[in-house]
Amino acid sequence: MTQPLVDVVGLETHFPVRKGLLRREVGDVRAVDGVSFSIERGRTLGLVGESGCGKTTVGRSILRLVEPTKGNVRFDGRDVLATGGAELRGLRRRMQIVFQDPYGSLNPRMKVRSILEEGLIIHRLGGADERLERMTRALARTGLTAAALDRYPHEFSGGQRQRIAIARAIVIEPDFLVLDEPISALDVSIQAQVVNLLVELREQLGLTYLFISHDLSVVEYVSDDVAVMYLGRIVERAPAARLYAEPLHPYALALFSAVPSVEPGRRRRRIVLTGDVPSPARPPSGCRFHPRCPLAEQVCREVEPPATVIDGHVVHCHVAARELQQAGGDAAVAAARMAALMAPTAASAPPAAV
Amino acid sequence: MPLLEINNLVTAFHTPAGRVPAVDGVSLSIERGKTLGLVGESGCGKSVTAMSMLRLVAAPGVIEAGEILLRDAAGGVLDLVTLPEPQLREVRGGRIGMIFQEPMTSLNPVFTIGDQIAEAVLLHRDVSRAEARGRALEMLELVRMADPKRRLDEYPHQLSGGMRQRVVIAMALACEPDLIIADEPTTALDVTIQAQILDLLADLRQRLGTAILLITHDLGVVAETCDDVAVMYAGRIVEQAPAHELFGNPRHPYTIGLLAARPERRGPDAHGAGSGFRRAGPLRTIPGMVPAPQHFPTGCRFHPRCAFARMPECSGVMPALNELEPGHFVRCSYADALGPSRRMDGAAEELA
Repeated sequence: MTQPLVDVVGLETHFPVRKGLLRREVGDVRAVDGVSFSIERGRTLGLVGESGCGKTTVGRSILRLVEPTKGNVRFDGRDVLATGGAELRGLRRRMQIVFQDPYGSLNPRMKVRSILEEGLIIHRLGGADERLERMTRALARTGLTAAALDRYPHEFSGGQRQRIAIARAIVIEPDFLVLDEPISALDVSIQAQVVNLLVELREQLGLTYLFISHDLSVVEYVSDDVAVMYLGRIVERAPAARLYAEPLHPYALALFSAVPSVEPGRRRRRIVLTGDVPSPARPPSGCRFHPRCPLAEQVCREVEPPATVIDGHVVHCHVAARELQQAGGDAAVAAARMAALMAPTAASAPPAAV
Repeated sequence: MPLLEINNLVTAFHTPAGRVPAVDGVSLSIERGKTLGLVGESGCGKSVTAMSMLRLVAAPGVIEAGEILLRDAAGGVLDLVTLPEPQLREVRGGRIGMIFQEPMTSLNPVFTIGDQIAEAVLLHRDVSRAEARGRALEMLELVRMADPKRRLDEYPHQLSGGMRQRVVIAMALACEPDLIIADEPTTALDVTIQAQILDLLADLRQRLGTAILLITHDLGVVAETCDDVAVMYAGRIVEQAPAHELFGNPRHPYTIGLLAARPERRGPDAHGAGSGFRRAGPLRTIPGMVPAPQHFPTGCRFHPRCAFARMPECSGVMPALNELEPGHFVRCSYADALGPSRRMDGAAEELA
């Protein structure tokens, strides 16, 4: 068994909520509240969920762009949270991030040359000649030429800027990239170009990705494994094909059904959830999804559902666990049952009271 | 007769760098009680078209040509382009309601929800304050707001994004408009909340018979909610057809490319009986990028990015919007030559 490149256990990242004149801490927002997963070298984990579910904070916590409150993050066997100084800098050379907004993430006063060179200088990678060579190579890989070096970000379109952001990430030859909504700010016709580029780079450079997005179709296309987050927790995780074919968690079922499709024959009945995502400052008791879940029972309100694991398919749901047990561990049968249980609520959709 | 008809609308911005024709000869019509989807990427002119309809285009934008005809049930016709401002104010929020992308920009943070909806009613109806407030409560119930009585006295910041959008919809509907212009109404919302709002709009349309102009970049949203679709590219309509026809049988190379560029989910249907999973090669892309209005190409504006472009014809003359089949309009000189019921996949093969 090879050791995973990224191994996250029980990650918690809380942000303090301060109030009053003395800025006293009156509580905390549990943005990430007990998340565990691992990513094998060369593979891609897709992280999906709605805004505020904590998916971005997971990515930033791994790189320690925000400080986790608790938990354990191992990168290539080394404890990321326990390191500091030069050692942390060494680890960070191997872990990079691409942000959503290519307008906000590139300093408008810096030429592309300075943007790319910064990382090389910080990590003392090569002299001036070698740096230029590395930068040219990184730009070429992202479909740009060295002519870009002497231009400013505003001279480029959104898609090109995202290419520059990707070049900045790969120029120091990392092993692992956190891709935080890398295509969400781009036009539809440009998104496919950037997705193709990311997939190509993964093959060429042997990169490992954490691909964070709310776009379920793109995540399915890019990822080997997919985890669905809700209110700071992962509610379901499985190989992409399994998760999309046989989702077990009621939230995953509703989420997948809510994505509008352009294929006329595939127009499904939407499962319309009632209510909004609760605030992570006051997460509900028991299963965090229970106030919106049409299948919620007494136990869901009281007991946090533990992980049920069937061949690498992990789900946190009392009802799904029972269905799995009744189906003798056959995820396909249980998934069909879960879908059938959810379906009537779609047919007789009660007013979606918010 | 259509409820609203736009003929050859031209809206240009006069900037120091020159004239920028954001909308360049757009014609559309919306039937009473129907939903028309207007799709396109950023900068294609879809929002400027909507703003022009209510003459809300800010300087240096000017409506340079065209007419926008609004019909009432009795057969009267108003041209919104030439209508004097006082009468136009009656139309705005009265006969045409508006919903914008970011609900916070259409709500005033210092007034309560109830006051804001009541204000919309007071502006257009001769009623007392108490009656207007009653109407506001009615509207909140109509848009299925939970606990509407309490919400009347709350401020926008106390509501979630989905609830705010419901308030904006309630305001838009308060005067029973014939038409609602919804500009990216769900783009700022999460998918599960988007599903709630789309459901609500569909339900309201059915119950009230309000026509909707839905402006969006999301083809999936259009496919699931609209009767007819118009695709815009670089200031012009390039294809228009009934929704099932457009998605089943796209004819303009841009539409074909847009549809092919999306990785379509192969997941489960409502019954969870998912089967195949594919990761078949790279996604099909449309090369290049959306041109800025200052640099619209000559001839067919899509030709620099079009896999089927024939030179020099396509760069020479702007193709007309031809009716290839009844109700299916395409602005491409070679759409016929590209074949009639070409399946998306086949055409996309060639595009790739």
